[in-house]
Amino acid sequence: MWAIETRNLRKVFRPLIGGKPITAVDNLNLQVPPGTVFGFLGPNGAGKTTTIQILIGNVYPTAGEAFILGHRAGALAAKRKLGFLPEKFQFHDFLTAEEFLRMHGRLAKMDGATLQKRIDEVLELVGLTQRRKSKIREFSKGMQQRIGLAQAIIHDPDLVILDEPTSALDPLGRRRVREVVQYLKERGKTVFLNSHLLSEVERSCDVVAIIDRGRVVKQGALDELLVNRSVVSIELKRVEPRVLEAMAQVAQKVQPVDERRVTAEVAQEDDIAELARAIVQAGGALMGLQAHRETLEDLFIQTVEGESK
Amino acid sequence: MGVIVALTLKEAMRRRAFLGTLIILVALYGLSFLPRAFKEAFGGSERQFEIGVNIAVLFGVDIIKFFSAVLAILLCAGALTAEIERGYLAAILPRPLHRWELYLGKWLGVMLFSAANATLWTAMLWVSVAVQGQPRVEMWRALPYVLLYPVLYGTLALAFSSFLGASIASMFTVAAGAFAYFSDQFLRPIAAFFDVKLLQQIVWLSEWTLPMATLKRLVQQRVDTILPPSMDDAPPWGTEAMLRFLKPEVQTLDIVYVGVYIVAALLIGLLIFWRRDVQ
Ligand SMILES: Nc1ncnc2c1ncn2[C@@H]1O[C@H](COP(=O)(O)OP(=O)(O)OP(=O)(O)O)[C@@H](O)[C@H]1O
Ligand SMILES: [Mg+2]
Repeated sequence: MWAIETRNLRKVFRPLIGGKPITAVDNLNLQVPPGTVFGFLGPNGAGKTTTIQILIGNVYPTAGEAFILGHRAGALAAKRKLGFLPEKFQFHDFLTAEEFLRMHGRLAKMDGATLQKRIDEVLELVGLTQRRKSKIREFSKGMQQRIGLAQAIIHDPDLVILDEPTSALDPLGRRRVREVVQYLKERGKTVFLNSHLLSEVERSCDVVAIIDRGRVVKQGALDELLVNRSVVSIELKRVEPRVLEAMAQVAQKVQPVDERRVTAEVAQEDDIAELARAIVQAGGALMGLQAHRETLEDLFIQTVEGESK
Repeated sequence: MGVIVALTLKEAMRRRAFLGTLIILVALYGLSFLPRAFKEAFGGSERQFEIGVNIAVLFGVDIIKFFSAVLAILLCAGALTAEIERGYLAAILPRPLHRWELYLGKWLGVMLFSAANATLWTAMLWVSVAVQGQPRVEMWRALPYVLLYPVLYGTLALAFSSFLGASIASMFTVAAGAFAYFSDQFLRPIAAFFDVKLLQQIVWLSEWTLPMATLKRLVQQRVDTILPPSMDDAPPWGTEAMLRFLKPEVQTLDIVYVGVYIVAALLIGLLIFWRRDVQ
């Protein structure tokens, strides 16, 4: 059983009057293995938030199906095991942090004693124990996002969906979210998170899916997607076709940037030296060479740019 | 659902609705002493004083009707779409509760709040005329029907708010009320005396659109023992049919119709809210 599964999920927004319909999600097929931290990536407007809204049952799909832990998305049984932090969070700010968590605990049908203990725990986890008696209105944006995270995990859900959980957070806050994600993972929970901070995602996710214009364009385990590939930036006195040809023998992909610079991708680190040799042998005047392991950001940009071509 | 009711009540308190409540309490208090003030200023018999109290009580009941309805409209009109737009419901709806629980919870919260206010106002008015030696039990008899005003208008506003923002939802509700009021207070006498069939049909239609005149008659029936004599007299001219149109009899079905209307509005709003996207 998948933690999240969608089958040909589709959502078309039709304006009531005039305007043309917008396809936000277009035949989306996702499979999220239980117990993983799943990164849900894509450019602005790709349909991430819309997909998440369908998963939690706030939005009805136009076609297709979505399942959460074996239950149809939106069903009570699915919602019971689900925690959610919205992208545009705005909470009942006349409540104090503690009252707010108590309200959510009660909405999640927790009993009094368990709830009180759990409130202490999650406040500690998100670092707001000191502010438990403060009204949410008096919180900074980042603190509000942290109390939102606390709310999402208050009832110890099996699946936590976080829509840009770090958008308002400073580096310390982001580290805290990473720790919370780690804590959830250690307890065997599934975390489904959407973020534009790819370095964060790279650090905490096991599996990612990149979507674009409502479709999945890449999905897989992070360490399989980023296998040992390196990106090499090369500076030459002059870029010549002859040299490019020689590079293409070694590299998987060669792309001239301007008259002096070329980037190339090699499948393994040993190929970097090989590439340098090939350039020199072809008579290229090598001025500089810098290699770095392919990051998720490289993969993301490549995938999305590749799609739009 | 209890959590939603409690949350709605808390929200209502937070909006300084209490300040409004207080102002109306003070106004009703002042009103209840006007007849005595007049009596002392201009003299007058005990009977005139009694009639003065009756008028003040009838007017007070109108105030309670009006402001409890306004309160319910204000609280209901911003309860759904406005909260969705502000993002309040995004974290509430994924909780294990049915959408109807949220809808009815909000409804119940506002109804309890407006009903509590109307009851408080009534108690205030009753006590302050009673201490003047003029208890008017009619106010308590009318109260159940007076409470239907906030229920009717609040339910309508909530139904509108299931797909409209706060200001438009309250505007639509007020417009419906204004149309009903206009047709009952203005069109009805004209239609009766000039015997214009088309106008009579419009009046009839408006009463189906919003059973406000029906409700008014139901309240009036409970207080008719204290209606001032002049108001109770039939006009000196007009045919039997005209007069019946001008002052329709209260029928048993009236209260049923009001009830059915409220339930229907509640269900329609619920259906819209249930089927819509919340984001
Ligand atoms: N209620 C709506 N009505 C009409 N169009 C909508 C609505 N919500 C979203 N869209 C459109 O659907 C598309 C996907 O939006 P969505 O919010 O899912 O993107 P996203 O991937 O979350 O983007 P971001 O990274 O900017 O948060 C966009 O083109 C957006 O304009
Ligand atoms: Mg988004």
